[in-house]
Amino acid sequence: MTQYLIMCTSLTNAQRSQKLLEKAGINTSIVKAPQGLNTLGCGYSLSLYSGISEAVSLLRNNNMLKGKIFMRTPNTDYKEVNL
Amino acid sequence: MIYLDSAATTLLKPATVEHAVIRAMRMYASPGRGGHMPSLGAASVVYDCREAAAKLFHVESPENIVFTFNATHALNIAINSLVHHGARVLVSGFEHNSVTRPLNALNADIVRCGTFLYDTKRTLDDFKANIRDADLVVCTHVSNVFGYILPVYEIGQMCRENNVPFIVDASQSAGILELDVGKLGADFVCMPGHKGLMGPQGTGILICSSKARPLLYGGTGSDSISQQMPEYLPERLEAGTHNVCGIAGLKAGIEYVAQNGCDSIFRHEMKLMNIMIQRLMYEKVKLFYSEHKNQCPVLSCVFDGIDCEEMAYRLGQMDICVRSGLHCAPYAHESAGTLNTGTVRMSFSPFLTEDQVLSAADNIKQIINNA
Repeated sequence: MTQYLIMCTSLTNAQRSQKLLEKAGINTSIVKAPQGLNTLGCGYSLSLYSGISEAVSLLRNNNMLKGKIFMRTPNTDYKEVNL
Repeated sequence: MIYLDSAATTLLKPATVEHAVIRAMRMYASPGRGGHMPSLGAASVVYDCREAAAKLFHVESPENIVFTFNATHALNIAINSLVHHGARVLVSGFEHNSVTRPLNALNADIVRCGTFLYDTKRTLDDFKANIRDADLVVCTHVSNVFGYILPVYEIGQMCRENNVPFIVDASQSAGILELDVGKLGADFVCMPGHKGLMGPQGTGILICSSKARPLLYGGTGSDSISQQMPEYLPERLEAGTHNVCGIAGLKAGIEYVAQNGCDSIFRHEMKLMNIMIQRLMYEKVKLFYSEHKNQCPVLSCVFDGIDCEEMAYRLGQMDICVRSGLHCAPYAHESAGTLNTGTVRMSFSPFLTEDQVLSAADNIKQIINNA
């Protein structure tokens, strides 16, 4: 199963993004961003397993997509993806 | 007990506030400091409170709702963000020390406009005459001493036309009067959580529409490598662990206000205040109130031959709680001519009943007649 992480600028940004996606029927979890993916230190991200294209599009249209997007499969480590 | 001091703190709160505080104390940890459930639960209740406040005050983004420890804290952030040494700052004649002391500490050139109690037109004329040279306007929405509703929407319009930043102190209006921050056009709106919003003490809100300078620097749970505070709100202004229990209670308080409506709360409290006025108007007491639409339910009185502190003490002996003295607002008393005497202030609450007000009035009359 492929996991996607949308990096957020802050916890509040993650929460607001999560609410927006929730209204569109896209389920996400707020998780601490892995240190290796976050150049500024501690941060939060949205984790989701489906609906990534719709999620990115919705966040972008609402000017709320602020960070990079990563994907991970059971056999691979996180790698950045461009959507 | 008959509690007539809600303008200081609403002692009587909805039961949901108490339940929310206890629940938060038992279940929640530090928001933004972990990925575990107690931390995420805390973050969730804090965010939900931001959303509830944003909705109540017509603020577009919950990120613009910043939690502070009280209105004074919020006002200090706002004033420190906009005032430089010697800045010419217009204030009303009814400001609280939470506005004037920070301005004096920054050596601002304070110009008092509108020192005429309940005279909206002269207040507006005075601001208009002085606004062109101003660097900032700070105005209370409602006088904490006299309940005078100042024309902040019109002053806000004047500020926009003259490109002057504007700070509103909504300490006495939040939760009592409808407050549309979008229409107000203020750079910052400051309010406590523990008065009309029914939250616990130690809570406050700063609504930001302009860039603010932090008053506190420290951990935000994010961007930890950087030695600067984040640029984005609300984290920029919220260093350190939040008052999660207080914010949880504040959320419940805001929900109570939203469910009942400010208009309904206002009408109930005004009805109680008018009962008090009717009962006392033929006694040896000067009552300060307006018969126009610029009065909020806060009633100040000066009793003939009885010092305000003496009256408050005697009422306290009868388990009736009022506030006496200068109410941390010497400018307001100077404007109304009560700086030498102070006043006894009575303020009301949605949980106060007509019978309680009648009983308090009878006790006041008894003290007057025995003096």
